[in-house]
Amino acid sequence: MTRLREALDGIAAEAPLVNLADVAVAGHRRRRRATAVLAAAATVAVVGAASIAVAPPWQRADRTATPQGVDTVPDLPDGAVGPIAYAFQTPCEKQRNPVRIDCGTVEWRVVTRSGRTYRVPQALFSTAKDHKVPVAISRDGRMLAYYSRQAQAHVVRDLVGGTQATSPVTVKEERISMGSTLALSDDGRYLIFDPREGTKDPGLLIDVRTGKSRPVDGNYEVVSIKGGVAVLVRYVKTDLWRMPVTGGGRPVRFDGKFIMFSEIAPDGRTVAAFEFSDYAKRRLTVLDAKSGQPLRKVPIRGLPAGRGGAVMGTALWTSGSEVAVVYQSRDDVRTYAVNVKTGQAHQVARYPGVLHMRLVLPGVASQ
Amino acid sequence: MDRHDDFREFVLARQQVLMRTAYLLTGDAHLAEDLLQSVLIKVAGKWPKLSGGNPEAYVRKALVNQYISWKRRPRPEVLGTELPERGASHDDAALHRIVLRQALARLAPRQRAVIVLRFWEDLTEAQTAEALGCSPGTVKSQAHHALARLRAFAPELACLLNDSEMEEVAR
Repeated sequence: MTRLREALDGIAAEAPLVNLADVAVAGHRRRRRATAVLAAAATVAVVGAASIAVAPPWQRADRTATPQGVDTVPDLPDGAVGPIAYAFQTPCEKQRNPVRIDCGTVEWRVVTRSGRTYRVPQALFSTAKDHKVPVAISRDGRMLAYYSRQAQAHVVRDLVGGTQATSPVTVKEERISMGSTLALSDDGRYLIFDPREGTKDPGLLIDVRTGKSRPVDGNYEVVSIKGGVAVLVRYVKTDLWRMPVTGGGRPVRFDGKFIMFSEIAPDGRTVAAFEFSDYAKRRLTVLDAKSGQPLRKVPIRGLPAGRGGAVMGTALWTSGSEVAVVYQSRDDVRTYAVNVKTGQAHQVARYPGVLHMRLVLPGVASQ
Repeated sequence: MDRHDDFREFVLARQQVLMRTAYLLTGDAHLAEDLLQSVLIKVAGKWPKLSGGNPEAYVRKALVNQYISWKRRPRPEVLGTELPERGASHDDAALHRIVLRQALARLAPRQRAVIVLRFWEDLTEAQTAEALGCSPGTVKSQAHHALARLRAFAPELACLLNDSEMEEVAR
């Protein structure tokens, strides 16, 4: 058996148990009755109804089909609402009879630190070609960046100051491709837009204030922008490039394959990441981003021990000695601050009700 | 005796195997169930003609075609990128599954179907071509491109995707 087959086997084993014999027979009988009605009536109206009944499950439903009155979440108002804790994308609603998925309710929403939730309908969530469109939040939660279809550009909202800036750099919607990534600087001035992660298609560093832009080597993926320096990573090798927003800098190569890089620590030179072979062991590596040398490996202690959970990535440094890791359990998503000397983790935040949704945290480049 | 008893017996015996195929194709438990259910409803109507032949091969072919047909329609997002809800353990295999699921979700539907049929179902090129309604040459090239894309999307999976046996299959 190939190792690929073993992995596919592992995924297949997660398929839920089903009991479809009677459901299939009942469905067949319903179909026969519907066909009989169709034949008898033979009217345009009935044909129309039948065509809806066989619509594919993930076909978009008309937005007007969703009762808007049920959803009382207000739109993000103009002006100040306070810093945001996270953003998430609402999922499609699965309907049965007929089987279909109503995606008229999909949208980006933000949750403020005070707990208020707002819809952000002006933030595009999916292109015309169905590629996901990311939003990004500054490290302090003050700035929100999203792509506006109307402006054909990125918009940066200051949610504390109540101002808004539209990037002078037009980005055609067609450029946003599979796995596009967005990162935002703390002051909202710089954006890095990667149109297609994992390809050599170059990214774009945009100065929202001046309208200047510079290409970003497509071999690299953005991790964060902090203090005028973008952290870019080239996987497999693994190279980390601390690129000033004005350009320059040189990549540093690490010995090993690392994934899930954090931003640069407050000391300005270390990063945390998981060596690929250590990920399953939950062992974090602290690396010197200037010399490329590993400083220490730290087994993480204090994460939930049950099955069905996994570390999803690293996030911001919560202090000079603690870096946040994002952990998804079977029930919810949480962040834990991990002491990079002792490995001890303690929970710092919980994100209820966003399991399996696109979740965007402050300061973390998002897809 | 109900005229559907034979069909029921077939579904009871094979539904879990077929559900796994549907799940690998869609990557989503609900969609997989919907996919299999919609195919079985159609098969129930054709059962008298199928029961003497190879109904499982027919259902598998219908599953793949229905899946590709669904994926051709407008859809709001690539479904199936959720992480496994259960069964994840903290070892290399679990990590590979997580990364592979995400990479599979980024493949074109036919490429994903080829991966599932060739490398999980272990169908021959000819059988895969029959299921997909294309030539064996197309299956070979789709398998080659699908593996190349998986390598590009998930370099971490090199140890899974550079197996010599697989290289032979995709050559």
